[in-house]
Amino acid sequence: MTMIQVSDLSLTYPGTRDPAVDGISFEVGQGEIFGFLGPSGAGKSTTQRVLCKLLQHWSGSATVMDRSLTAWGQDYFAHVGVSFELPNHYLQLTARENLKLFANLYPQDVTRSEDLMAVVDLTADADTRVGQFSKGMMQRLSFVRAFQHEPRLVFLDEPTAGLDPVNARRITDHLQTLRADGCTIFLTTHDMHIADLLCDRVAFMVQGRLALIDTPRNLRLAQGRKQVQVEYRTGEGRRQELFDLDGIGGNERFAELLRSEEIETIHTQEATLEDIFIRTTGEQLL
Amino acid sequence: MISALVAKDVKLFFRNRFFATVTGLALVLYLAIYFLLPLQTENSVGVAIHLEDPAASPEFRQRLTEDEDFTLFPSKDEMLAALEDTDDYFVGMSVPAAAAQAVARGEATTLQAFYAPDVPAEAKQVFHELLVFIANMVNPDLMARLSPIEETEFVLGHDLLGQPLAVRDRFLPLLLLAMVMTEVLGLGTLIVREIETGTARALLTGPLRLPTFLVAKIVTGLVLAMSQVVIVVLVTGKIVVSPLLLLTTLFLGSLLIVGMAFFIAAISRNNTSVLAWGTLTLILFLIPALSIMLPGLASGWMELVPSHYLADALHRVLNFQAGWADVARDLFLLAAAGPAALVIGGAVLRRRL
Repeated sequence: MTMIQVSDLSLTYPGTRDPAVDGISFEVGQGEIFGFLGPSGAGKSTTQRVLCKLLQHWSGSATVMDRSLTAWGQDYFAHVGVSFELPNHYLQLTARENLKLFANLYPQDVTRSEDLMAVVDLTADADTRVGQFSKGMMQRLSFVRAFQHEPRLVFLDEPTAGLDPVNARRITDHLQTLRADGCTIFLTTHDMHIADLLCDRVAFMVQGRLALIDTPRNLRLAQGRKQVQVEYRTGEGRRQELFDLDGIGGNERFAELLRSEEIETIHTQEATLEDIFIRTTGEQLL
Repeated sequence: MISALVAKDVKLFFRNRFFATVTGLALVLYLAIYFLLPLQTENSVGVAIHLEDPAASPEFRQRLTEDEDFTLFPSKDEMLAALEDTDDYFVGMSVPAAAAQAVARGEATTLQAFYAPDVPAEAKQVFHELLVFIANMVNPDLMARLSPIEETEFVLGHDLLGQPLAVRDRFLPLLLLAMVMTEVLGLGTLIVREIETGTARALLTGPLRLPTFLVAKIVTGLVLAMSQVVIVVLVTGKIVVSPLLLLTTLFLGSLLIVGMAFFIAAISRNNTSVLAWGTLTLILFLIPALSIMLPGLASGWMELVPSHYLADALHRVLNFQAGWADVARDLFLLAAAGPAALVIGGAVLRRRL
């Protein structure tokens, strides 16, 4: 089942000449984690804002959950969760008060708040004012807020930004669980590791257009070299040699190296998403 | 949904130490000022007179003695001492010995008038005319020729004779307006903070519709503005004066102020600009109420400031027991200006959100 279907979507901000989003088309299936990648200003956030109904005056068509985006009313958000890159909470309220306020806005009973706080390890701080939270804690609270009403589709912007590895792992693990339960996640990120780890498919956006869209594996294979690099140590220092993967089982030099030298690392040479990002967008990741 | 948002806003307002402190202190301060201002009003105009001239008309002497605003002193020194040492007199005059004869002969006569230090120039002018009249009346012939004139009084508006308005009561409309106006800053800041920190966007990417968000802000503004003024009218005992009319007036005025707060929030980038625009509005809107305390300030252009109708209605209801019909024009104009301010302010704010 298709969750999001976007066709020829374009948007130009008032007072600007070039479109921020220029005729993009893509689909996202139910239960898919779809990564939306690209440099700053490429149009990722604009696309997400259109799909979050925060922007008007766009052209093209967008269908979400089998209904035109323009036909959805505010009930859209009963099925959709949104987490922004910068945490936006009421700092004078406690974490629990923040969640309760948002929970009260939904027509359905919201019962997942406490479970989700436990998942992201916020239970002990639930009654602390958010103004005293670290950035990572605020980020985790954003995560809980986006999912507490059990949405079918969630827009996440840099969900692991500012998180330590343990908490980042908690979030990614839970996202995988949610995917297994059929939740669709539209993920905007600069973190290629997270994209590679989580996303079923990724799209690279450059200057308002979609430059690439495929599974991370296909992209890695298509854009990488079918080679293996062996790093070994000799009396003269460290050395590297490259071997073609095709027929490597019968490669005598490779077998000799494994037998006679002190091997330090062996790596296949498929491209990383970061390589593909840089190659596609022409920009270095920070 | 609205009640949850209003409860949140009120909680945020009072958890903000600055606003909580300022609100509490302002309430105490305003009440303290009100109760410290005099309840009684001194409305007599004391004139101290020493008639040195033995030929002064006895009839005139008698008349001066009977009038409580005039006090005859046996000597000039005693008159001057009373003028300087007490607050009972504004002006003093000593009529020299030969004055009556000189006036009778039509000769120029010099009189000395002594004024208390705080008598304004306008009052001196009035006293001057009075003193010239008194000086002429010391002549028995002139006094005898005075034509009996019957005077019929017409008081336009509420007759304050015998019930002068105490300073604290004159001050009350200004106090109430200032309290309501202060909420422009409070509500404006709350809204701007919601925009700045992205919480408004977070709310609007939920089931909350923008009109509901704005209605919740209106209710918050009304709660903040009205709760304090209701406390003041309760503590001052003024609530007993037409409670429904008073509350209606305050409600309509609060709508106007909430509309202004929307407008200010929409054009302000941050809290500092809320403070700047809010203070300008505060000053402009308080001028009509100041003219109630200091009637000399009143000017036609003040009717262009919508708060004039709030201040005027409060003044009439609180101080003159005006009824619905008496303040119908004020209420009508407030009922038009309040929603208009809300619609314009809401429309501008909507663009910002």
